[in-house]
Amino acid sequence: MVDYSIKIGGEAGQGVQTVADSLSRIFLRSGLQVFTIQDYQSRIRGGHSFTQIRLSDAPLCAMRKEVDMLVCLDSATCRIHAGEVSERGLVLGALDQSDPSYSRSVISLDFAAIAKEAGNPIYANIVAVGAVLGILGFGINLMEEYLSEVFRKKGDQVIRENNNALRKGFQRAQELYGQALLPDIQQNRDHSSVLLNGNDALGLGVVLAGCTFYSAYPMTPSSGVLNFVAGRAKEYGILVEQAEDEIAAVNMAVGASYCGARAMTGTSGGGFCLMTEGLGLAAMTETPLVILNAQRPGPSTGLPTRTSQGDLEFVIHASHDEFPRFVLAPGEPREAMNAVIRAFNLTERFQVPVILLSDQYLADTEWTYPDLQVDEKADSPHTVLAVQGYRRYVPTENGVSPRALPGSGPGLVIADSDEHDEWGHITEDLTIRLSQQEKRMRKIQFMKSAMRSPRCLEGEDVTLIGWGSTYGVLYEVRNNLREKGMRAGLVHFTDLYPMATETVELARNLPNPVVVEGNYLGQFARLLERETGRAFPRRVNAFNGLPFFVEELEMRIKEILS
Amino acid sequence: MNNAFDNHAKTAWCPGCGNFGILDALKEALEQLALSPRQVVLVSGIGQAAKIPHYLNSNVFNGLHGRSLPVAFAVKSVNPGLTVIAESGDGCMYGEGGNHLLHAIRRNPDITVLVHDNQVYGLTKGQASPTSEDGFVTKTQPQGSLSKAFNPMSFAISQNTGFVARGFSGDKEGLIKILREAILWKGLSLVDILQPCVTFNTVNTFGWYKKRVYTLDGHYDSTNRIGAFEKSLEWGERIPLGVIYRHEHPTFQDKIRDTFGVDNLVYQGRDSHLVLANEWSRFR
Ligand SMILES: Cc1ncc(C[n+]2csc(CCOP(=O)(O)OP(=O)(O)O)c2C)c(N)n1
Ligand code: SF4
Repeated sequence: MVDYSIKIGGEAGQGVQTVADSLSRIFLRSGLQVFTIQDYQSRIRGGHSFTQIRLSDAPLCAMRKEVDMLVCLDSATCRIHAGEVSERGLVLGALDQSDPSYSRSVISLDFAAIAKEAGNPIYANIVAVGAVLGILGFGINLMEEYLSEVFRKKGDQVIRENNNALRKGFQRAQELYGQALLPDIQQNRDHSSVLLNGNDALGLGVVLAGCTFYSAYPMTPSSGVLNFVAGRAKEYGILVEQAEDEIAAVNMAVGASYCGARAMTGTSGGGFCLMTEGLGLAAMTETPLVILNAQRPGPSTGLPTRTSQGDLEFVIHASHDEFPRFVLAPGEPREAMNAVIRAFNLTERFQVPVILLSDQYLADTEWTYPDLQVDEKADSPHTVLAVQGYRRYVPTENGVSPRALPGSGPGLVIADSDEHDEWGHITEDLTIRLSQQEKRMRKIQFMKSAMRSPRCLEGEDVTLIGWGSTYGVLYEVRNNLREKGMRAGLVHFTDLYPMATETVELARNLPNPVVVEGNYLGQFARLLERETGRAFPRRVNAFNGLPFFVEELEMRIKEILS
Repeated sequence: MNNAFDNHAKTAWCPGCGNFGILDALKEALEQLALSPRQVVLVSGIGQAAKIPHYLNSNVFNGLHGRSLPVAFAVKSVNPGLTVIAESGDGCMYGEGGNHLLHAIRRNPDITVLVHDNQVYGLTKGQASPTSEDGFVTKTQPQGSLSKAFNPMSFAISQNTGFVARGFSGDKEGLIKILREAILWKGLSLVDILQPCVTFNTVNTFGWYKKRVYTLDGHYDSTNRIGAFEKSLEWGERIPLGVIYRHEHPTFQDKIRDTFGVDNLVYQGRDSHLVLANEWSRFR
């Protein structure tokens, strides 16, 4: 099995992403499995950023820490990451071989100088792509095709210059290296696999769910979803409104939904703080609403471009007093796409808000999928006509009242954020308060029936428990532990809240649980403790803003078990 | 006469409150425009004024304090066939909701914004509001308000709002006329309605307003922005009523239609096969 990792680093603005995108597309189109992660700083130019690509001929779902090829677009990259390069690894770039900080073999290639020879120093990153392909032993044709696609709009001249730079990098690297590093890899042209990151997947889900109104205020790492949907707004008839703030964004989404749009808003922790009153508004008016909270470390504005799972307890309790809500946290991009469709269906069916939890890691991580199949189907509208005397909040057995849209019939649709009677009119009659609050809270029982069980892989010696974006790394670590003879299991949660009775039962009986999550307090472990009445004392937590890497996590789990 | 917008609800307002005049005028204006209750959506925030949608027969979204405009914008965007009126007090619209007013004006959705301006916070028992005079004394401002009064008319004209008017709840006929024009106006119309609060504002009383207000006559040119701006500064001994400024420009709804070719955003379903066929190659 081939398992190779390439890290491309440089200053923001140097084109790290272009190099990484080109390479991962070529690997993908060669029939390989690709997995990528990004790391960047909260700035537009300078600083340090990198993308890491892992490729294999078997499925991938996580990132190893160790790097086999380090591509340095600047000299800082080598200084920062040389220590991660493996025994057999290579360092590539305009580097001085004699620098004692690099103990690995260095292939000194000045991308910018070669680009200049080829016509223009701005093609330095294309030279780098050529060089990597040359060293790995990949053909250059797929890359030429890719460049012509990317630059089609810019014309033949640009394509020619790019191809020229590409070939120069390719040849120079082959001359210097003189062999193909990955000769064993089967390179087939593959026409079906897709490479999908979490934000694009969420965006696709928004489109597939039939969303017609998306309002948001930009905030990393949720902005990618806003951009994605805005880019498709015209094609699919979606109004994407950049609101003046998160308060407006959530209120707009509620207003749109009241009127029959499939409405959603997206933000990150700080923005979600501003939305909490609007979340309560959706709950009180029983208006369908999907909110995405792409988590990042806090408190306050924290680490804008890094990852966290620190908002779980917040979103479960956000906004005052009590009301039901769903909290879903997809574990990988494709699940994220499906989760959005599900979120829209749930919010329509139950008329309670649905909060989708993602994070920077999920947002920026690309996974390979054999095709773009969708498992969920968007429900048709769950509305009735407003008949004469229509009562928006008529009490029902499961708490859900038939929802009509204003203007749909002779009846009137009245919604109120104050306590209200069956018609929707404001009231301070406390018996009505009781019956309305009971009606709203009754939904919880009914909602549990829509919650899905966690993914379970059995094991006796240890059961790794996780939620949301840690799915992939837990999966790989579990497999590694088993290969080393440990009977390791995995239970991964996507449906977090409310928890179905069977799920609670299951969690109560898991052998040797270790809860792994990206926060300090162990918020999911605490939720499990509250729901099950059982203690979950063994925990692995990370709150440094970085995702879990395979080797690290494996080590920490072994530590806690010993 | 039977008015389709009567719902005979019991109000929670103090006897003699200026809100009653606004409620009567609004019902009358809607009736005169021959609108049907099912076509109308009243959106409001929180406060005494913001309870008004409950007191007439129409669709209602009574939301959060200060947040009526994002909701009203969205409602009109989703279903442009509805007549959308956002209504609240001066605290709700200019205080908590000030930012939304600023941006609603920039968007210019085809909605009518009515502000019951009693220069005080009613529901929370008489604190100074954004339109309270400098020095206005309340329990919260015992030494008198230290801030200048916000001038909604000048503000709206400075932002080139399409329709800017002032009404008075004690002048029912004049107010009905303004409301009719405002509702018919294509684009955002802002009507600031002077509304005495008989309980908490003992300065700006019915008598105080009565002595000062006068109606702009046919000689006044409401399309001249500079002239309108000057007129908007008139406050004190004489207070003008009527349409102070008007200026036609494309509405947000026009732009959605022209840019996106959509007229209505009510969810009807979307063909996922089509979406996937479109999107598939973009991820390869
Ligand atoms: C977020 C929030 N803050 C404060 C309040 C309390 N509150 C209710 S109404 C109001 C002020 C009302 O004043 P105004 O809008 O002028 O309306 P009036 O009652 O005078 O008609 C306030 C501060 C609230 N409901 N929500
Ligand atoms: S407090 Fe003032 S504004 Fe409110 S109802 Fe009473 S009189 Fe009217």
